[in-house]
Amino acid sequence: MKRIVVDPVTRIEGHLRVELKIDEATGKVEDALSSGTAWRGIELILKDRDPRDAWAFVQRICGVCTTVHALASLRSVEDALGIEIPKNANYMRNIMNATQIAQDHLVHFYHLHALDWVSPVEALKADPAATAALQNTVLDKYALPLAGPMDFSFDAYPKDFPKATTAYYKAVQAKVKQIVDSGQLGIFAAHWWDHPDYQLLPPEVHLMAVGHYLNMLDRQRELVGSHVVFGGKNPHPHYIVGGMPCAISMNDMNAPVNSERLAVVDQSIMLAINLVNYFYLPDLLAIGHLYVQKGYVDGGGLAKERVLGYGDFPDEPYSGTSNGDFHKKLLLRCNGVVENFGKGLDAAVYHDLSGKDYADPAIIAEGVEHSWYTYPQAGKDLHPFEGVTDQKYTGPKEGTKTAWKYLDEAGKYSWLKTPKWRGKMAEVGPLARYIIVYTKVKKGVIQPTWAEKMVVDQIEAVSKVLGLPPAVWMPTMVGRTAVRGLEAQLNAYINKYYFDKLIKNIRAGDTTVANTAKWDPAAWPKDAKGVGLHEAPRGALGHWVNIKGGKIANYQAVVPTTWNGCPRDDKAGHGAYEASMIDTKVKVADKPLEILKTIHSFDPCIACATHLYDVAGKEVGVVHTDPYFKV
Amino acid sequence: MDHCHSLWGLFQSRGLSRRSFLKTCAAVAGLLGLPPAMLPEVVAAAEKKTLPPVIWLHGHECTGCDESFIRSQSPLASDVVLTMISLEYSDTLSAAAGEPLEHHLQELMKKYAGQYILAVEGGVPLADEGVHCMVGGRTFLAALKEAAAGAAAIVEYGSCAAWGGIQAAKPNPTKSVAVSDVISGKPIVKVPGCPPIPEVMTAVVMHFALFGQLPPLDGQGRPKQFYGNRIHDTCYRRPFFDAGMFVEKFDDAGAKAGWCLYKVGCRGPVAYNSCGNMRWWNGLSYPIQSGAPCFACGSPNFWDNGPFYERLPDVPLPGTIADADKVGMVAAGVAAAGVVVHGALSAVQKNKQSKQQDTIVRGPEA
Repeated sequence: MKRIVVDPVTRIEGHLRVELKIDEATGKVEDALSSGTAWRGIELILKDRDPRDAWAFVQRICGVCTTVHALASLRSVEDALGIEIPKNANYMRNIMNATQIAQDHLVHFYHLHALDWVSPVEALKADPAATAALQNTVLDKYALPLAGPMDFSFDAYPKDFPKATTAYYKAVQAKVKQIVDSGQLGIFAAHWWDHPDYQLLPPEVHLMAVGHYLNMLDRQRELVGSHVVFGGKNPHPHYIVGGMPCAISMNDMNAPVNSERLAVVDQSIMLAINLVNYFYLPDLLAIGHLYVQKGYVDGGGLAKERVLGYGDFPDEPYSGTSNGDFHKKLLLRCNGVVENFGKGLDAAVYHDLSGKDYADPAIIAEGVEHSWYTYPQAGKDLHPFEGVTDQKYTGPKEGTKTAWKYLDEAGKYSWLKTPKWRGKMAEVGPLARYIIVYTKVKKGVIQPTWAEKMVVDQIEAVSKVLGLPPAVWMPTMVGRTAVRGLEAQLNAYINKYYFDKLIKNIRAGDTTVANTAKWDPAAWPKDAKGVGLHEAPRGALGHWVNIKGGKIANYQAVVPTTWNGCPRDDKAGHGAYEASMIDTKVKVADKPLEILKTIHSFDPCIACATHLYDVAGKEVGVVHTDPYFKV
Repeated sequence: MDHCHSLWGLFQSRGLSRRSFLKTCAAVAGLLGLPPAMLPEVVAAAEKKTLPPVIWLHGHECTGCDESFIRSQSPLASDVVLTMISLEYSDTLSAAAGEPLEHHLQELMKKYAGQYILAVEGGVPLADEGVHCMVGGRTFLAALKEAAAGAAAIVEYGSCAAWGGIQAAKPNPTKSVAVSDVISGKPIVKVPGCPPIPEVMTAVVMHFALFGQLPPLDGQGRPKQFYGNRIHDTCYRRPFFDAGMFVEKFDDAGAKAGWCLYKVGCRGPVAYNSCGNMRWWNGLSYPIQSGAPCFACGSPNFWDNGPFYERLPDVPLPGTIADADKVGMVAAGVAAAGVVVHGALSAVQKNKQSKQQDTIVRGPEA
C-alpha cells in the first residue's frame, strides 16, 4: 500500500489537495481524501453590509465561475424582499448565465482538462498531412447535429472552423518542437508525459488537439460578449438588485443597449454555437469514444448512487423561490434527486426538490465532522439558515501545523463542510443535471420543454455513437466530461433562445430592465429571509440570506464544489471526489494521471467551496488563534 | 520561427535593431543590479536563450485575474504564454501537478536565481501563521517569501495582491494583506483591479518584451500608462456630469440616455484606472458604458468604501469646484470638475422626478 499526495492539484480554480492509498499490485485506490486548503472568510465580511451590494462581494468568491454567485445572490435578496424582475432583465440574466456555461465549459475542456488526455510530446510524432485528414474524419463522424429553436440567424457561415490543412499542422508542430527543443517548456514543464495513457490516442489526435488548445485559447474571449455589453466587463460583470443596470433605448444616442450593442451580443452567441459544434463536441466525442473502446468506464463513484440539482432558466419572471413559483417557470427542470441511476433507468428512483424544501433542515443541511469547524451541538447538522462558523484548525496527522506531510482522514482535514440531502451525500454538476432531466422525462414525471427534449436527444445520440446505454457510460469519468460538452451545446442554443425572446419583447415595445419599486430600504420588511437557486457550470448553487433592518444579518451559500469535494461523513460515506477516486484504477502509483482525469472531470472550483460559509449571528472562532487580530 | 527563441531573436522577428537590442541588454543588466562589466554576459545570454521565466503564484484569490489575463486581445494569450515569457509555474495553466511541479519550482528558482519574474495573484493571509492558505503542504506565505527572494521583479496582479483585496475587507478574518506588505527590497509593479483590464495585464509583459524593462511607475508602484488618470477624467459620460445631467435612479430617462452615474454611486471620480480610455474588450464597453456605476475596483480598500450605490461623500479633492447642481448651471466649457457633493436633483431632471424618488438615491448625509 502506498500513500500518494497530489498538492497542488493544478488546472483547477483554487487550492485543492488529494491523498490516495493505492494498492500498487492491483492499482486499486483503497482510500482517497480530498481537502480544500484555503479559507477566506467572505461570509464574515458580508455581515452588516447593504444587501444590494452583496452580489458584488459574493461574485468575487470565484472569477472562473464569474457571474454565478452574483446571480444566486440577486435571486436570494429578491426572494427575501419580494421583488419580481422585468422580462428583459430575466432574459438578459439568462443570456449571461448560458454564456457563462458555454464559455466556461469550453475553456475547461481545452485549457484545464485536455492535457490529461493529449501531450505535446506525442504531437511531435504526428504526420501533419494525416492530422489534416483526421480532422476531416472527426468532423464527419463526431459532429452532433442537434439544435435549439432559432427565430432568426444572421450568421452567413461559421466564423471559425477547424483548419484541416497540412501546412497549418506543420506550423503548429514546428512551434511545439521549438518549445520542446528550447528546454523552456513553460506550462508543459515537469508533467508525467511518459505515462502509458498518453499512448492510448494516435499522435495525430494529439497534434490536432494541441492545435485546438491554442486556437480556442485565443477565441474563448469572444464568447463573453453578453457580459461585456450588459455588464460592462468580464470577469465580474455588473448587475443590480431588481434587474439590470443596462437601460435599453433606440431613441437615445448613448444608451447602454441599442441595435449595435445587440448585434455584438448576437455575434458572440453565434460564435459560441460554431465553436461548440465544430471544435468542442467533435474533439470530445472522438477522444471519449477511443477511451470507452479501450475500457475506460470507471471514475463514476457517487454519480451511480445519487445526484442532485436545483433547476434553472426561469423562462419568464417569477414571484419568488420560497413560494414555489421559481420551480414552476423553469426551462430546465433538473431540480430533484435521482438515486441508483448506475443500476439502470428502471432501478433509478426520483425525488422532488422544490419550493419550501429549500428551507427545510430535514432536507438540506451541512455537517462539519471532518471539516476544520466546530458546531455547538456535536453531530447535529445545520440548515444553511441556522449555520454557524466556528473555526477549528487541527493541523495534519503527520508534519506540523504549517508544513504538512499527511492529513488526518480520521479527524478534520478540509476547509470544506459536508452538505447533505436527507442525511446523504450527492453529486452535482452537468452530469447530475443530465441524469435528472433524462430520468424525469423517461419516467414521465415531466412533459419536456425543447431544452429538456434536446438533453434526451443528445444522450441518446451519444449512446448510439458509443454503443452503450446511458446508465453505463454516463456515470463515469469519461461520461462526466462528455456530458459537460453536451451541456455547452445546449447552453449555446439556450443563449440564442433567450436572445430571441429579448428581441421579441423589445419589438413589442417593452424596454424596462429594472424594477426599482423596492430599491429604497424603507420599502423593505424589517426581517426577511430569501433563497437564491442557480445551476452554475459546476452544479447546483444555493444562497440563503437573512436581511434585518436593511442590513445582511446572515448570508450563506452551499456551492457545487462543496457538494462534490467535501470531506467524508462517518455515517453518509464519501463525497463525490473521494468516491470517484476510489472508483478509479491507477496504473502507476506515483504518477496518478487517472486521478487527475477523474478530479478534472468535475471541473473543481475550490475558491467557491471554501470561501463562503455560514454567517452566524455570534462572533466566530476564526480570530481566536490570531495573535494580531482581536475584535 | 526559430529566431523567436531568444530575446535577440524576438527583436529580429519584430524588426528591431541590434542597437536597440544592446540598449535593452544594458537596461536588463541595470534592472538586475549587475555591474557594467557584466554586460557582455547579459548580451550573450540574451542572444542564445531564454524567454523571461515567470513563476505565477496564487494566494487568497478567485482566479478572476487569470481569466482576465487570457481574455487579452492584444497581445493574445497564446503569444504571451508561448513567445514572450516562459510561464513555468501556474496553478491554472501548468500541465503538471503535485510533487513534480513543486520540484520543478525549486529547480527553477535555483537555475534562474535573480532572473525570473514573480507574478502574484491574491492576498497573503497572516492570521494563525498563514494556515488559511496552504499550497503544496505549506503556507502560501512561506512559498511567497521563498519565491520572492530570488525574483528579479514582482508583479502584483489584481487588487488582492496589490492591496489585500476582498478578504482584507472588514473585519479581515484571515488578516490578509498585500504582497508588498510582506515583501520588500524588490522592484514591485502593482496592477490593481478586480480584475484588471486584460490588456493592462498583458501590456506589462509586452512592455518588458519590447523594451526589456519594467514600465514607468507612479508613486504607488502602478504603471503610469494605465493608472495615471481617474476614470472620471476620460469617461465618455463626463460631459453629462459637467452639464449636470444625471441618472437619478436605474432605468430612468437619464439611464436610457446614458447620462452621468455619479448620483447612483459612481466612483469614477476617485478611480485611477484605464476603463475610461481603453475600456474592456478593446474599446467595447466598461461598467459605466453598460449603465453600472464604477466601484473603483482598482483602489485600495474599495470594498469598505460602500454602500456602492450611495454617492461619494464630500471628500475635498484637487479640482473640486462645485456641486452637481451648480455645475449644471455653469455654462458649457467648464474645464475641470472633481468630486461633487450634496443631494439635490440635477437641473435637467428636476422637472421629471418627484421628491419621493429623490429619497431613493440618498447621500450618506441623508
